Amino acid sequence: MTTMTFSSTSPALRRTTGLTKANGRLMLRNRLNLAYGFVLPLLPLAFLLVGDRGDVGSAGMALVSVIVMAALFPVYYNVLSMTVTRRDELVLKRIRTGETRDLELLTSLALPGVAVAMIVGLGAIPLALALGAPVPVNPVMFVLTVLVSALVFAVLAFWTAAWTKNAEAAQITSMPVILLAVVGQVAISFPEEVRRWIDLTPGAAITDLVRSSWLGLDGPSTDPSLSFGETWAAAGQPLLVLAAWAALAAWLAARSMRWEPRS
Amino acid sequence: MDNHTTPALEIRGLRRTYGTGESAYEAVRGVDLTVERGTLLALLGTNGAGKTSTMEVVEGLAAASGGSVRVFGLDPVADRAEARRRTGVVLQVSGFSGDLTVAETLEMEAATVTDPRPVSEVVALVDLEHRVDTKVLSLSGGERRRLDLACALLGKPELLMLDEPTTGLDPESRRRVWELVRNLRDEGAAVLLTTHYLDEAEELADQIAIMHAGRIVREGTLAEVVGQQPSTVRYTTPDGETTTLETEDLQTTLTEVLTWAAEHGVRLSGLDARHASLESTFLAIAGTPRSDDTPATDASTDDLEGAVR
Repeated sequence: MTTMTFSSTSPALRRTTGLTKANGRLMLRNRLNLAYGFVLPLLPLAFLLVGDRGDVGSAGMALVSVIVMAALFPVYYNVLSMTVTRRDELVLKRIRTGETRDLELLTSLALPGVAVAMIVGLGAIPLALALGAPVPVNPVMFVLTVLVSALVFAVLAFWTAAWTKNAEAAQITSMPVILLAVVGQVAISFPEEVRRWIDLTPGAAITDLVRSSWLGLDGPSTDPSLSFGETWAAAGQPLLVLAAWAALAAWLAARSMRWEPRS
Repeated sequence: MDNHTTPALEIRGLRRTYGTGESAYEAVRGVDLTVERGTLLALLGTNGAGKTSTMEVVEGLAAASGGSVRVFGLDPVADRAEARRRTGVVLQVSGFSGDLTVAETLEMEAATVTDPRPVSEVVALVDLEHRVDTKVLSLSGGERRRLDLACALLGKPELLMLDEPTTGLDPESRRRVWELVRNLRDEGAAVLLTTHYLDEAEELADQIAIMHAGRIVREGTLAEVVGQQPSTVRYTTPDGETTTLETEDLQTTLTEVLTWAAEHGVRLSGLDARHASLESTFLAIAGTPRSDDTPATDASTDDLEGAVR
């Protein structure tokens, strides 16, 4: 019976699913990692308790932090350490002698983390509302933001893995991307000329997307002015920034990816 | 392309160079090898001879700098999907996640294989039935190696590539792996095997190829490979001098030595007369300096890759 289902699905899909299942299992077995992935990103929602109910400032800070941390912990850090660990274990090398294609192998490493980020992002909606956040202006765009952020940071993880010597070194090599992710949030206090450059970081793009999609905020403004329709247009530039980062990271990763431990 | 007379593996003029320019090092220098269906070829060589560099190209993990590789007449790059479906690989070092059980590892592997054998069948083939729910972390070295074989066998490969499959195994595990490999060969699979154990080659190989300094320097059946090496007669005369004679005709030389000793009333101690063995052949080759314009190194290919990257 199982064979029937198998033969009717595409081989590429079956390979990717099988590998994803194993990577998911390994992720679930690492309890500490899992706690970091699920719990840590939701902690910033506590900011909502500080401000008044419906306060845009604290809601913005809380929600942006949730999504940036969801992109960083379950996705970026997790995918980076899984890729480096599987490489050190020579699992990647062995799998590559078989029928599996490289893209399928990488997808299987990214999917478990992306799934956790999606669960965190979706779970944040009722939690934030319960804690007094305003109702999202464009929930579809918000969910899309979570998905796109997760994918971009998965690709950034592969690029980092390409030049990370081993799992230990990942603590250091992850720094540049972590900086790219968090600089967007502190940028609001920076002068205009600096901010224009910081707007080009993935972190700033996520900040813009979360603030416009959920709160209807236009750029650094603290006044919710965007309508549902306008939030789509406001998403254009930050989405383009994220796409550019993904393309750059994918190009760099493809050029320099290593499948065996460095000797 | 593939009729039943096409060899399982055909390597022609294979070259592999690491690095470029001044630091370039050619690890494989024009290798020709053929593995017919239902036969086992043992590829022997010293460390750094280029075995693993050759294997990596055949396995599809690295590109050749020159020459060609055909698997059942297929190009492993252009016809990747079809070629991979018919081959199984055991790498020199196992690659597993310690936190997955044997069953979970094989399930994952099976998902990546077109038309896999049932996991239960492959587990029985390698004698790991009692260990299916054990994490790979807790397996012994021998069990881990058998799991490697199990992964390679899931796809019912017609060509098996085994890179030192029994290194580090206890004698009993080695015998079991030998038996398994022999059975697969007898059922029609072609096997390319590298090993450091000469008895393994003697035990299993239909064909033996000895690689040295990037080239195949001897090739043939065990008898042919050893036959190219002279026999030796060794003795010590009463004055304490030891003589070693090399000869193509052991019987005649030995007769001459004994006749001479009898005529002169000399007592020979430590008299030893023997045909060449695979070991003496191998050692003679390993002792030959590389005919090479760059200085000889003992570096393994791993070291070399590290050095040039």
